[in-house]
Amino acid sequence: MISRFLFGPFRPGIEALRPVLYRIAYAWCHDVALADDLVQETFSKAWTRRSQLREEAALKAWLVSIMNHCWLDHLRSRRDFEDVDDWQDQLESGADTPEACCNREQVIACVRAAVARLPLGQRQVLTLVDLEEFGYAEVAAILDIPVGTVMSRLSRARASLRTLLDAAAQRPDAQPLLRRVK
Amino acid sequence: MNAVLSDETLHAFVDGELDVAESEMLIARMREDKELAQRVCALRGLQSMVRLAYAEPPVADGRQSHAAPRRQFVQRCAFGCLILFAGLSGGWALRGLEPQTVAALPGVVAGGYQVVSLARQADPDRVMLHLDSAAPDRMRAALDQAERLLDEAERQGRAMQLEVIANSRGLSLLRADHSPYAERMARMKQRHASLHWVACGQSIARLRSEGEKVVLLPGTQTAPTAISEIVTRLQQGWTYVRV
Repeated sequence: MISRFLFGPFRPGIEALRPVLYRIAYAWCHDVALADDLVQETFSKAWTRRSQLREEAALKAWLVSIMNHCWLDHLRSRRDFEDVDDWQDQLESGADTPEACCNREQVIACVRAAVARLPLGQRQVLTLVDLEEFGYAEVAAILDIPVGTVMSRLSRARASLRTLLDAAAQRPDAQPLLRRVK
Repeated sequence: MNAVLSDETLHAFVDGELDVAESEMLIARMREDKELAQRVCALRGLQSMVRLAYAEPPVADGRQSHAAPRRQFVQRCAFGCLILFAGLSGGWALRGLEPQTVAALPGVVAGGYQVVSLARQADPDRVMLHLDSAAPDRMRAALDQAERLLDEAERQGRAMQLEVIANSRGLSLLRADHSPYAERMARMKQRHASLHWVACGQSIARLRSEGEKVVLLPGTQTAPTAISEIVTRLQQGWTYVRV
């Protein structure tokens, strides 16, 4: 907000990407306020680092990469992690198990709950590939991990997601529960 | 050749990470191997569900993001249209969009077809053709249009992605025992790896509930609903053409 007042929309292309960034941020943290903050912070940092952007075509990937750092910074400030690599494979959001996929709204709630239960690293890879159709190499560059890790995380993420959703589909009598996850 | 394909390979296939030769080989195997086709189909279904789940993320009250209000309005319209679609067999759905969002595709998509894009400039490289009629001339028009677009892209050296999405009665085009153009479609698919046939899961479920046996052409993907696929693709910047 502040950066917007001070500097205004510095590139029309960047403003157009705000909903895209928000969707990714929301899919990572499942918290509307935090997602909004992450996007704001990303724009703010993008402004200060704008000279680093060499190719206009890479704008989206560049912004997502900045947002990834903002997100990791946020997590570091929240928890006393010693090694980022360790918790990227372990951290689950603590959301409830997805249950009862009946109608469209419930399907959406179920899938979000299932995605929220994935370990952070898997969740990030899955959302970047599935929501924004980034290539594996792009995701590797954005998250600063090897392409092989992108592939293995994606594979594990989809397998877990299918297991969670299958389990949910077999419990049609239960009510969907979706807890906000910070 | 007959070794079990790893999940990673199938993921790379659905994510468009395989090269043309590898994709074509996998498509050929899918024709023979129903179980493989089923695995790919399940992956695509999962992908569609994830896209649908985040197509319209919630916005905090009082913290309305600065996302362009018009874009949000368009998104709301698109979802309003989703409900209309189910009731009115499709065609009316996308008329709810703002007129200025409707941009004509340059070049080959012409002939009075309804073209919609949420982008300022319609993207000629990512196009979905929507068919909801079983009229043979409409089916033929959809295939002609797809072929024209892909050929044009090939001539110009552009990497184009094209989806033919069928729902309602248009599903006949993708049904193995109903499609009058099965052979032509198989040839097209063989020639263009980036061409996808997408069937509406809801239409299939309805036919099955009426006691019909629905067998889709090899390589056909299933989306949870045609409209969810269309809305998701529109939000990703694809161009929609109603045939």
